[in-house]
Amino acid sequence: MTSLTRRKIVQGIGAAASVGPFSLGSALAQKNEIVVGASQPMTGVFSFAGVAMNNGLNDFCAWKNSKGGVQGRQLRYVSEDSGFKLDQGVAIFKKVMASDKPSFFYGDSTQWVKAVAQDAIASGHVMTSSTSLATVVADPKNMPQHVVPGPTYPRLHEILMEYIARSSRTAKPNIAYVYADTEFGRDGIPGGKARAEKLGLPIVAEIVTKQAGIDVAPEVAKLRRAKPDIVIFQGYILAPMPEFVRQMREAGLNPQIMGTAWGLDKPAYDALGALGARLTGVSMYRYGHETDAPMINEMRGYLAKARPEVKNISPFYVSSWLSGMIFAEVADRCLKAKKDLTLANMKAALESMKEWDTGGVTGLLADVSQHMIPVGRMYSYDPDKKTMEPASGWIKV
Amino acid sequence: MSEFLEYSLLGILSGGVTALVALSFVLIYKGTGVVNFAVGEVMMLGAYLYYAGAVTFELAPWLAFVIALAALAALAVVVERLVLRPLSGQAAVAVLMATIGMASIIHGVVEAKWGGDTYSPPTLLPRTPVNLGEILIPGTVLGNFAVAAVLIGAFLAFFRWSPTGIALRATASDPVTAATLGINVNAAQRLTWILSSLVGTVAGVLIASSAGLSPLLASAALSVFAAIILGGLDSVLGAIVASLIVGWVEAVAAGYLGGKTRDVVPYVVVLAILVVRPHGMFGTRTIERL
Amino acid sequence: MRTGIFHETFASEERLWPSPTARTWMFAFLAVLFTMPAWGSDYMLAIACIVGIHVIATIGLNLTTGNAGLISLAHGAFLGVGCYSVAWLGKHSVPFYVALPAAGLLTAALGVIVGLPSLRVKGIYLAIATIAAHFILTFIFREWESVTGGVPGTSIPRASLFGFEFRGDRRNFYLIYGCAFFLALGARNLARTHIGRAFVAVRDRDFSAEILGVNLVRTKLLAFALGAFYAGIAGGLLGYFYGDITPDYFLLTLSVFYLAAIIVGGLGTVLGSILGALFMTFVPEVLRLVAQASSNVFPGVASLLLPMQQVVFGILIIGFLVFEPHGLAAVWGRIRRTFHLWPFRT
Repeated sequence: MTSLTRRKIVQGIGAAASVGPFSLGSALAQKNEIVVGASQPMTGVFSFAGVAMNNGLNDFCAWKNSKGGVQGRQLRYVSEDSGFKLDQGVAIFKKVMASDKPSFFYGDSTQWVKAVAQDAIASGHVMTSSTSLATVVADPKNMPQHVVPGPTYPRLHEILMEYIARSSRTAKPNIAYVYADTEFGRDGIPGGKARAEKLGLPIVAEIVTKQAGIDVAPEVAKLRRAKPDIVIFQGYILAPMPEFVRQMREAGLNPQIMGTAWGLDKPAYDALGALGARLTGVSMYRYGHETDAPMINEMRGYLAKARPEVKNISPFYVSSWLSGMIFAEVADRCLKAKKDLTLANMKAALESMKEWDTGGVTGLLADVSQHMIPVGRMYSYDPDKKTMEPASGWIKV
Repeated sequence: MSEFLEYSLLGILSGGVTALVALSFVLIYKGTGVVNFAVGEVMMLGAYLYYAGAVTFELAPWLAFVIALAALAALAVVVERLVLRPLSGQAAVAVLMATIGMASIIHGVVEAKWGGDTYSPPTLLPRTPVNLGEILIPGTVLGNFAVAAVLIGAFLAFFRWSPTGIALRATASDPVTAATLGINVNAAQRLTWILSSLVGTVAGVLIASSAGLSPLLASAALSVFAAIILGGLDSVLGAIVASLIVGWVEAVAAGYLGGKTRDVVPYVVVLAILVVRPHGMFGTRTIERL
Repeated sequence: MRTGIFHETFASEERLWPSPTARTWMFAFLAVLFTMPAWGSDYMLAIACIVGIHVIATIGLNLTTGNAGLISLAHGAFLGVGCYSVAWLGKHSVPFYVALPAAGLLTAALGVIVGLPSLRVKGIYLAIATIAAHFILTFIFREWESVTGGVPGTSIPRASLFGFEFRGDRRNFYLIYGCAFFLALGARNLARTHIGRAFVAVRDRDFSAEILGVNLVRTKLLAFALGAFYAGIAGGLLGYFYGDITPDYFLLTLSVFYLAAIIVGGLGTVLGSILGALFMTFVPEVLRLVAQASSNVFPGVASLLLPMQQVVFGILIIGFLVFEPHGLAAVWGRIRRTFHLWPFRT
């Protein structure tokens, strides 16, 4: 390539790149639509969940529009890929806020929620939600714009401890905690430990591992010496739980395995069930294969038509669908009362949802007034049906 | 006491696989002077190709393994030709960044093709654990170590006694003299890259069989850099010994201090050693000219 | 090289902007830059703020690695140190005009410690020693909960000047670019002082430099300290901008990002740092734009194109290294020369 052509090409790219991001046509919200913005981690380390989260909210908006929208207004879903990077996620937030004036925004992580909180509040017209169940974002006072579509991690662990205490007939079982050194792994542990102490349940081992690429042998050696009856996993989606179970088996341990929702999706329970593990866990949503809930049936029906290749409804999908439902309900209540979609009105509408029927996504009528849905249910793995079946009623925490 | 022994043994055994990855790095550095930051990604790609062969195309695991080896060897040749030859004169930072760029490309391609999910490739080795009194060694750890030991032994023998191996060593220590003696330097360097990628693929498949296959596999290579520096960048023996030491340190740290210290402790050890031996334990001292 | 400029004193030869034309262009650029909050959209301002922070950090890394030749992969962690320092000082009611420089100095002190291996080791050994430092620092970020808030992270009280709070992008823009201007000026000036020359001597042949009287210990440690100082300030500004940070931001990939920025931009020049930071920040944005635009035409291509971000990043790095080893600064220089010497060829 001659140096002249090379130079011209580089200059051309430079010019295009400098003009590109600023020359967006702005698609301002039309009067008769409600914009739902989203910064989804469709690539990057969280992509296995990000694709499901994106699909969930996208499909909810499409489904709701097919049922007439919210008070006649259509929902428009605007989502971009953040790659799970904070810089990009915040940039997407600012971009979509400037160009589309959304009323609702879905984000990819706790970091993101905290970083955009002040801007969201200052704008006065947007409510945020995310798949994060961290304690720090379920805060009506400091985060009035945010809603968590489920209970917080510590509460999930409290449900687990209560279930263990209630279901152990004889002596108190030994419990071992195995969790990842991430927020997803750590956030719930102090709550679980506190509740275990109150109930007199002994925790014989607490093992913290890296997020991935883990060599589990030394940890299993520790577990072998602690001899737990129950092992609670937190913070893993699939690996390294099967390897842990396999090595524990080889070491002569066969404890009951417990976990919480994100770690009990189909890949996880398939793998652990195939190993013959006794698996129980707490989930804040109904599973996608359950048939006794109208909304879950609607989800399945929509997926069968629009995404026939998706065989399993992951809890991330359900979570973002539920966030969409919360957004739609908040908008519905505001519009019915002839109020504009400002933050103050939307917050009031959210806090008025004390007995809201989620169509069976979560059991019991949901009380969202504390900006979270504090409900969960125990599920057990059924080796005959090869799925997770309910093992208790819905518990409010 | 038996706890300490158990952690130590587990650590040294798992250091065997680390030694494979370290060997992959040192081969290239010794042979071509290039610092290859893409060892983790090469490992990961090898494991993914093996998975694709064994599960997606439903070939016998052995066949899939061989195909993965062949594919990565081909990739190594391509990379050596297209990327590293043009950069042969440049500063250390530049070549480092080129391998980081390569690592990015491989990582991106893997993520684009297979997504972020974790898969379980079929294992090639038996899993029966070994009991030594109070100590239990899981089958995977023992199996991985055995494969690593055999492979490394084969390499050491190859370098010592086979004419090609001696030719590679000659090219590594002084390319100009090797060329005058009639050794095809280009072919030798290409062979070095091929061997390095083969070793990396084996390591990747071993790790994936026990730890699961996901794009995060590449980060398992980070502790290898600690081992490499500890052993000396251009010493094969150093890489092996240092990997065992780093494996031992990691396992004992994980056992007594908790799994989250696994990343940090080897590096602290390395920093301490660098003060005393700035070229690693077995690295050659370079004499700089004014 | 501009025609018609005749230097009559040594001082005028060393001026940063030697000709009236250069000065005029500089004023024009600064005027446009500092009035951006008036004419820019929210999105543009947010990107500009992030770019400003990255520019400061990149200039710092260029001082350590580009000018002095000491490869440092701990830069991301230094940003974290600056950010957490500002958070901690802010919680103890230290005003930002004290907290920010203090964070910089703290990070510089840490930079001296991280730089100690450079007195013994060189090249790749040094790079990996800095990786070790990075891991140690990130471990501290995650575990020292009383100061850093641990894994969930910490909030950073906004900067405020006698009641005027720097909340929102417009105000943070001035804070960031004010700092960036002075820091860039300082770095540019450094090149014509004896310290700058000592850096370059150390990069090229440190034994010879020592013989010529350059104090190696002081120079190398100063290189690390200065780079870390810039990173500390950038980290502090990052904290003020986001208001909240978690340790997940300061990963090894951030250090690699800055290293890529200085290589793409051009080693050893302030202009290179600026262009490199701009480029690296824009690549994901442009890619997303292209993916979105093309997914309107070819649906489904987004899922193929988006992970390509990493592939594109890698290809760009290798492309620059092979075809344009002196980076964007060299390209810029060539474009300028074409204009200056027109109608003559370069």
